[in-house]
Amino acid sequence: MSEAYDALVIGAGIAGLQAASDLADQGYQVLVVEKEPGIGGKMILLSKVFPTLDCSSCITTPKMSYANNHDNITTLTLSEVMHCQRDGDGFAVTVRRKARYVNEESCTGCGKCEQACPVLCSDPYDFDLGVTKAIHIPFKNAIPLVSVLDMDQCIMCGACARACPVPDCIDYLDEDREVEFRVRTVILGTGFELTPIDAKREYRATELTNVISPLQMERLLAPHGPYGGVLRPSDGKVADSIAFVQCAGSRDETLGVPYCSRVCCMYAVKMAMLLSGALPLADITIYYMDIRTFGKGYEQFYQNAKAMGISFVKGKVAQITGAGNGNAEVRVEQIGEYGGVREFEHDLVVLSLGLRPGGDLLGPLPLTVGDDGFVASPDSKLSPVRTSEAGVFVAGAAVGPKDIVDSIIEASAAAMQASAYLAGGEA
Amino acid sequence: MAEALPKKRVGVYICHCGGNISDVVDVEAVRKAAEKLGDVTVARRNMFMCSSEGQALIEEDLRNDRIDSVVVASCTPSLHEPTFRGAIKRAGGSPFMLEQANIREQVSWTHTHDHAAATAKATQLTLAAGGKAALLEPLEFIRVETIPRGLVVGGGVAGLRAARDLAQRGIDVVLIEQSPFLGGRTTQLGRVYPTEEDAREMMGRLIAEVTADPRITIHTNARPIDGGGSLGDYWLKVEQVSRGCHREMTPIELAEAIAGLPADIPNEFDHGLSQRRAVWMPYEGCSPSIPAVDWEHLPDDAAERVQGEGFDFARRVEQFEVRGATIILATGFDPYTPCKGEYGYGEHPGVVTLPQLLRMLAPDGPTGGRLEVDDRPVRDIAFLRCVGSRQVEGVNEPQPDGQVNDYCSRACCTATLHVQAELNERFADLNIYDLYQDIRTYGRGHEEYYIRASRDGVIFCLYDANKPPVVQQPEPGTRLAVRVHDQLTNGEELELDVDLLVLATGMIPHTVDELVEAFKLPRSADRFLQEVHPKLRPVELAVEGVMVAGTCQAPMTIDEAAAAGSAAAAKAANVLTKEYVELNPYVAEVDPALCRGSGDCVAECSVVEAIQLVEVETDTGTVQRAEINHTICNGCGMCVAACPHDAINIKGWTIPQFKALVAGLMTLQEGEA
Repeated sequence: MSEAYDALVIGAGIAGLQAASDLADQGYQVLVVEKEPGIGGKMILLSKVFPTLDCSSCITTPKMSYANNHDNITTLTLSEVMHCQRDGDGFAVTVRRKARYVNEESCTGCGKCEQACPVLCSDPYDFDLGVTKAIHIPFKNAIPLVSVLDMDQCIMCGACARACPVPDCIDYLDEDREVEFRVRTVILGTGFELTPIDAKREYRATELTNVISPLQMERLLAPHGPYGGVLRPSDGKVADSIAFVQCAGSRDETLGVPYCSRVCCMYAVKMAMLLSGALPLADITIYYMDIRTFGKGYEQFYQNAKAMGISFVKGKVAQITGAGNGNAEVRVEQIGEYGGVREFEHDLVVLSLGLRPGGDLLGPLPLTVGDDGFVASPDSKLSPVRTSEAGVFVAGAAVGPKDIVDSIIEASAAAMQASAYLAGGEA
Repeated sequence: MAEALPKKRVGVYICHCGGNISDVVDVEAVRKAAEKLGDVTVARRNMFMCSSEGQALIEEDLRNDRIDSVVVASCTPSLHEPTFRGAIKRAGGSPFMLEQANIREQVSWTHTHDHAAATAKATQLTLAAGGKAALLEPLEFIRVETIPRGLVVGGGVAGLRAARDLAQRGIDVVLIEQSPFLGGRTTQLGRVYPTEEDAREMMGRLIAEVTADPRITIHTNARPIDGGGSLGDYWLKVEQVSRGCHREMTPIELAEAIAGLPADIPNEFDHGLSQRRAVWMPYEGCSPSIPAVDWEHLPDDAAERVQGEGFDFARRVEQFEVRGATIILATGFDPYTPCKGEYGYGEHPGVVTLPQLLRMLAPDGPTGGRLEVDDRPVRDIAFLRCVGSRQVEGVNEPQPDGQVNDYCSRACCTATLHVQAELNERFADLNIYDLYQDIRTYGRGHEEYYIRASRDGVIFCLYDANKPPVVQQPEPGTRLAVRVHDQLTNGEELELDVDLLVLATGMIPHTVDELVEAFKLPRSADRFLQEVHPKLRPVELAVEGVMVAGTCQAPMTIDEAAAAGSAAAAKAANVLTKEYVELNPYVAEVDPALCRGSGDCVAECSVVEAIQLVEVETDTGTVQRAEINHTICNGCGMCVAACPHDAINIKGWTIPQFKALVAGLMTLQEGEA
């Protein structure tokens, strides 16, 4: 007999957590399935968030903590939905719980295993800028605050098990297992991935170490960042000329991404502002086609950035080449009164990559998707959180690129329509 | 443990806030100072007190009886008071055994450059909170039964969506719409982007669902003029004006009946481009399809001029009260109206706004769908973006409140390209110019319209907001000349001769002064309603249980307004699916031993019936004593100040607690003058 829940929420990023909390607040039993070892999605990794410049942790941790402590919410991390099929008036769900090699119930998060582990490997949470150990707690304020062992890196030396103060907590023989559930409604909050950094070959991100992704820059700016400051990856130099190249993964038919990714303008302006605070002497330039600061308070934020002295150059960057000393040269046709083809040297360049759907959307659920690969909504104007399947709802970046504010609102909307569905209203 | 626990056990927790605090404040110095305070038994610091790890510190200390009250020195309570209360509650304590010292907003963010003074101030605030914490009492929430009904103000897309979602959840709803007709601004559009659905058909579907729903009561031609109450039990005083007509009619039937009335009233549905009569319907198939009387413009002898049945020309105004546990405000926007003379608007018939152009293109619009100026067909048309939006101080004329509209109106960019696509489809040989600053086709399916416009030959000119285009005042009957410094051609000055100039105007919030006044609702600098926090509580206002949805909060598109409507409904449903709400216990309390029945408190109280004198039997006979209604009292403290006998205190903020707080603030730091 499989365990039953009212709702399944796939993805424990900010959209999934909000949707789960709203449903749980109405008294429904919610199962949250997250593929990463911890909840919080991409948002918990960010430095500060626009347009209020709140530290991202300050906004994300209460939402993570609220969902995690809610009596009506059960969260499975390091788990993936393998099948989700209509079964009577609900869905039969198969979840694969991947081996953590650490007993989630008994681990106290003391971190002694991590200290004992001799294997250094690159840290996925710092997007490979920093290092971690083969066994580690994902990040400082992770939920659950439990270690996870990366078996691909482990050399089976046994140091962690010897260091662990809890008997039998580390289990090298742990295995993936499949668990069955029954749910009545599903909310998809599977989020986004960045477009690949090497897609635009003219930008030479694979050759030039100091051409980095926006999430890498977020980590450099974050309080727990890999270097404790904004240092460039090639040589640890304090950067004094930093560029953001906009639309490096969006609005570009040669990349197969003709659409606008909606968040890159604001994240670039935000990081430019944070950089000018962290490195007051640095020159910061944003190369752009159009600045799309459309949300509440966003235009004012952009104007503030201009007033702070951040330089905005209109023009689509044509290519980036190495310029010696780890620097990069940006070639652009500058548009405006003194326009023309120009080259500018910078010692750190951020490619403002776009958003594409996160995870395999079509695998477990037979949903209709758009040409852009995101979930399609059959009534996208009046009920944008509905999908082609009755009883299945969607929120956040799974249904198109979206910023945090819009994702959170949409998540509450999805929870509302799911709760109406559960209460017997039509879907 | 054999030893008796000390009477007061205060735990002090200092948050680094990931560097937000600890980069400025010497948190270890604050911790050490707190540790020395008399009743403090535990003093700790942590990178993020709001994290699960930080909260676990508090829980563990409570469970182990090391502490019984908690001080968290961190950010503002408006951010994390619920977080830390939750932690205390989980450990079995009263959530009110918490004091938060704000050493981020009030210290590290304000005194960034003086670390020593910041540390001193943080210490003082922490010690003050510690002093008060020792006097805290384990209060409990006040439970109030909820009125099982949600109130929705506004019958546009956000309000209708919210009402329908709540009803489907099984909740009764009262919906109030100011105009005589449902559907809001969306019904003035033709097709909607990017789905290309017919706007009226689309809204018709939602309206039909709402009007057929037995759980939804709709009042049109009605507006709230006052309101009050608190979470779980709000009231709105609604003023409803009689419709003047009680029979469904087709527009043809109506036209025949009212042919005798003068057609001289600017038709708001066509944004003033046509004239209508004093009995009207906006379009065929509107909801309800019952005409409405425009009382302001109705001639005295209307009854004699109108033929047929179903009219009642005696104007009646009814006032009634509706009650509900929550209120959703979805009061929408108005299109920005350019000032007379702004880019020739109001002076030349060839200058119109984007909403006006949309009506011109509608088959039932003022020109029957023909694109004409002064009966001449339009050959050249220019669009000017960001009129009334993204305004620059010193360049654009300020609004009546002295400010410029510095915000982006979000929807106009794609709306402009969308109408250009329609123009290119319907009219051959039309030259389209587009004067812009940035093209903001951010949404899903929006960028396609930009690509299409470029392919269709629309000519784009980039202007600088500091040097906006100039419209030459033309001779009557001649074409308009628009001068622009085009940045795409290195700032060359171009002169465009056009028949029609379309100003892509933005949104301004529809006025809701009565509600803002009644509930003291916060507005942001842009005059739109201001949510509590854009991420933590994006559809809630500072008045608990009052939600905001759609364009009364900020410019947004139809789908975004619909999502906001559903989201606001979710917050209302969280309240309405329970039978009670819990209110803060910070209310006045009378000490009957000290009260002398002076009545000074009753005179000072600003809330109706929150405090009253009642007769009490004592040994010496019947006397008058003050009594508090705990569910109505808002804890403002006026009665405390008014009482000549110090007989009243606000729970959680008693006079002894204030004294302890002040004593803490007065603790001077070593080395300070």
